[in-house]
Amino acid sequence: METVNQLIRIAEKRGVSRRKFLAGVGATAGAAAAVNLAACAGPLPTQSSGSGTTTTTTYTDADILNFALNLEYLEAQFYLYAATGNGLATSDTTPGSSSGYSTVGSVTVGSAAVVPGLSTAQQQILNEIAYEEQAHVRFLRSALGAAAVPMPNIDLSFFGPLAVAANITTSATGSGAFNPFSSFDYFLVGSFIFEDVGVTAYSGAAPLISPAGVAAGYLAAAAGILAVEAYHAGYVRTSLTGRAVSAGSAANYPYLYAANLVEDLRASLTVGNSADPSSPDSLETYLTIPGNLTTPSSIVAASPSSAVGFARTVNQVLHIVYGSPTVGVSKGGFFPAGMNSIFSVTTA
Amino acid sequence: MANQETQLLDEIVTTSRRKMLSFGLSSLAGMVAMEAAPSAAAANAYTDADILNFALNLEYLEANFYYLAAFGTTIDKPNNASMSAGAPAITLSGKVGTAGTVSGGSQVPFTTIPVASYAIETAVEEGKHVQLLLGALGSSAVAPPALNLGTSFQTLASAAKIPGGAAFSPYVNDQTFLVGAYVFEDVGVTAYHGAAPLLTSSANLSTAAGIMAVEAYHAGLIRTTINYIDPTGTGIGSYTNLISSLRATLSQAALLGATPGTYDTAPDDFGLATFSVTLGSGTNATATRLTDANATNVVAFARSTTQVLNIVTGGGAVTANAVVSPATGVFFPNGLNAGPNGFR
Repeated sequence: METVNQLIRIAEKRGVSRRKFLAGVGATAGAAAAVNLAACAGPLPTQSSGSGTTTTTTYTDADILNFALNLEYLEAQFYLYAATGNGLATSDTTPGSSSGYSTVGSVTVGSAAVVPGLSTAQQQILNEIAYEEQAHVRFLRSALGAAAVPMPNIDLSFFGPLAVAANITTSATGSGAFNPFSSFDYFLVGSFIFEDVGVTAYSGAAPLISPAGVAAGYLAAAAGILAVEAYHAGYVRTSLTGRAVSAGSAANYPYLYAANLVEDLRASLTVGNSADPSSPDSLETYLTIPGNLTTPSSIVAASPSSAVGFARTVNQVLHIVYGSPTVGVSKGGFFPAGMNSIFSVTTA
Repeated sequence: MANQETQLLDEIVTTSRRKMLSFGLSSLAGMVAMEAAPSAAAANAYTDADILNFALNLEYLEANFYYLAAFGTTIDKPNNASMSAGAPAITLSGKVGTAGTVSGGSQVPFTTIPVASYAIETAVEEGKHVQLLLGALGSSAVAPPALNLGTSFQTLASAAKIPGGAAFSPYVNDQTFLVGAYVFEDVGVTAYHGAAPLLTSSANLSTAAGIMAVEAYHAGLIRTTINYIDPTGTGIGSYTNLISSLRATLSQAALLGATPGTYDTAPDDFGLATFSVTLGSGTNATATRLTDANATNVVAFARSTTQVLNIVTGGGAVTANAVVSPATGVFFPNGLNAGPNGFR
């Protein structure tokens, strides 16, 4: 309850500056990873390495799919723990023989456990999303074959520090910490952290796929996964909105505001576009609580002018999941040892 | 659309497209529904503008449905309700093809805030999609085709075997509106998904991917709301299974003449009925189906333009053994509007 009260206080004083970055959390500068040239390679926009020197590198379609695979490992572990109390089968996490990585990472479980107090319908929804993210892991691993990277280290206890950085709570650990595994509403906020990001990541990555990759079906696959992530995001945002309307007021349902605080944090971490979610230039769309029958809701996250969904670069996604706006960071946040990807170091 | 750069791209990509269409299964064989092939009549000759115009026809349909349900007016005739909600007033600037009118449809007397606010939000967003495509296509944009948003729902509801379908109207109350909206949203996702890999300009691809995401948000919204209202699937939840089954049947019928193995021959549409899943190292569980996707790889379905045409015309796009062009029926009594190489 202490956390709920904190959320209510936050809801009451919204508008207060909350620019509090996670700069440097668990992060060290690292050099750009070695690059593997292959067919279907394209030029990568200029990348800055940790030392500040500028290098140009190239990437393959496999690199793009492997970046997505890292994100799917994270999502799958989160939802599987929430639904079942256990994570991916080991066989779904192993390295492909030519992936360049040999070690399977581990999961820092923290307070991850079956979400208590779910109705049958809610449990079935958690089961569905867990199954679908698990299926994406398997699908990408299958498509990548020997090139599939293993699961990196994943830290599911990062929700605590992330919530502090977002000004949702003041305690990163202990009984006052934000815990997405403690109730259905907290779970919704936890999943909110991922879903819009997944949509924007696939939107940003899809046009990078090479013509050969398009012919091989990679673009269709990426677009199809993008759609599924948007279904999930639609589900999470609809649920938060609907439950807020039922609760009758912001004070009675602080979780929606917690989600908006997550948007503030994501925006602040998104190097290249840190526009506040209330700005027309932002890559975020605040949730709202419609108060009557003639007010639109705000379920869809999209450009306010064209209603086209947002896209983020791989680098912007990396800043968010590492929880850092700092350039040259190679690990942190949900990925305490970094992603298993050539896109593992944050850039400007 | 038709600037020098995209024309050049068209020429370059025509070759790879042809190759793609004849590929059948490639490295993702058997794992994903491949790019949807265009209708046979239009193969190889179409441009990005033709694909975007196909999308524009569907957006005219969706936008008018939501404007009527939320505001009681069509997209080109703003009223107090549409203006106060911030819905764009659309200037019907598209001139290609034959302009038609909208029949049927009326404002839904909503009684619950979530459903009313979702209807308004969706209307605004679909209106912006129409506006965006009209702007992008400029003088190449198609005119709004004749749309039937009244009796068409009864025809479809009867065909889907929805109880009382012959009298079904989506404009009666919150629940009937959700069923009407359900008819459209998943189809929008599959249409953009099928079209995306056919686009040649990466800017157009980005836009299409972004619109597809919004259609999927809408679809997720509708399915989630129906699930909240009817979690056990005994009422409107059961209608979703009937509608999806009809869509899958119409979609499969339009596989006619397609390259064998190019896309799903199994049903490509699922309602909200639960299904069994195995999680992690072997936990068996029951799951909802808030996502309309392939049950094995959980990649959303893609449909060819012919498949989409056959759904929105209620079977008008194919006979027993041939593709019919133009396809007419149900929502599009005179067919879609298209340029000479476009999709009808």
